[in-house]
Amino acid sequence: MHKLLYILCFVCFGMQAQTKMTTSEAQNLKTLVKSQAKTTKTIVSDFTQYKHLDFLSNDIITKGMLHFKAPNLVKWAYNKPFQYTVIFKNESLFINDEGNKSQIDIGSSQMFKQLNKLIIKSVKGDMFDDNEFDISYFKNDGKSNVHFSPKNPEFSEYITSFQITFNKKGDVEDVKMVEPSGDYTKIVFSNRTLNTPLNDAVFNP
Amino acid sequence: MRYLTLSFLAVFLFSCGSYPKKQQLKPIESALNVFSNPYFSNTSKDYIYKANISAYGKSFSGLFIVKKIEKNQHRVAFTTEMGNKIFDFTITDNAFSVNYILDDLNRKLLLNVLKQDFTTLVKENVDISGVFVKDNASFFETQILDKPHYYVTKNNSLSQIVSVKNGKAKTVFSFSKINDNIANKITITHHNITLKINLKSIN
Repeated sequence: MHKLLYILCFVCFGMQAQTKMTTSEAQNLKTLVKSQAKTTKTIVSDFTQYKHLDFLSNDIITKGMLHFKAPNLVKWAYNKPFQYTVIFKNESLFINDEGNKSQIDIGSSQMFKQLNKLIIKSVKGDMFDDNEFDISYFKNDGKSNVHFSPKNPEFSEYITSFQITFNKKGDVEDVKMVEPSGDYTKIVFSNRTLNTPLNDAVFNP
Repeated sequence: MRYLTLSFLAVFLFSCGSYPKKQQLKPIESALNVFSNPYFSNTSKDYIYKANISAYGKSFSGLFIVKKIEKNQHRVAFTTEMGNKIFDFTITDNAFSVNYILDDLNRKLLLNVLKQDFTTLVKENVDISGVFVKDNASFFETQILDKPHYYVTKNNSLSQIVSVKNGKAKTVFSFSKINDNIANKITITHHNITLKINLKSIN
């Protein structure tokens, strides 16, 4: 009997999958996230990255810290299990790989420019551009999950969809980037604080 | 003139000498006919390395991933630190297939180098055609993809694989910081092209 209960619980849990939002629910979320993004001047957050490759027994887990300052400064710093920092600044990528510093000029590459734009947009969650993405809206347990599928075939070759989970306040909780093969990278944010003053020096390479 | 011809002949003969001769390895009798590389042999383990690659003055980094899927079959993949996949190969004893490779890297020449390197790196069992010794090292001679290779052991532990061309080391795979059949540090150094791969285990 107990067993049956357990099974029933699991079945119910499984069935409680996300459902599609109504048009007005989707519109409300869009408005909420956009206004939240507009007022977001800085973001400081811890993150845990799960790299899922189907053939592995476990996801590869790396951890670090994100700093964002409007309009376009991003510092993505891994500290576990290795030290690796990428700073997006002035159309350049500044990399510090355990003390080895290098710089990549992204000004000349449209692909990199777009990637840079997407990274900034995705940390704020504001990717609601119908020209660039096919967008579908889901809800689950008070949270919203939005799938952004790039329309540009050059881009969808790398990523078939960005899936962003928003909490009730319209803040980004996690971002999942799904590759054509089904493998994905999921970044879960924690201890996320908005609009604390952030010195530009944080983004010095 | 005669001296010139003689010295040319001498240089020619010397450069054509076999690897064991050049390295002054001493052949020995051995009953061993198969050598096993233990470093990627456990199917229940994910082998994850932080990788630094320097090629022709440029350097790249990322995560190098090896998984033994079943007997004589490995997946070898490379991603950036941020998770973007660069390549993903399946390697078996007699086949190398590309599951994914970034368009910019999809070049026959590069693929050939990667095929050679990673087939050698993950190949678990090789047939031995000769055994040599020098100082405290043993050398096990074999062929991988029809090219001569030497597995070098010190204190019964695999420390190097040397891929040989014209009697000279072409590519050297060095394994160090070995613990519980895991090589925590691996370097792959090419002597004929400017390519070096450094791997550091992170799990």
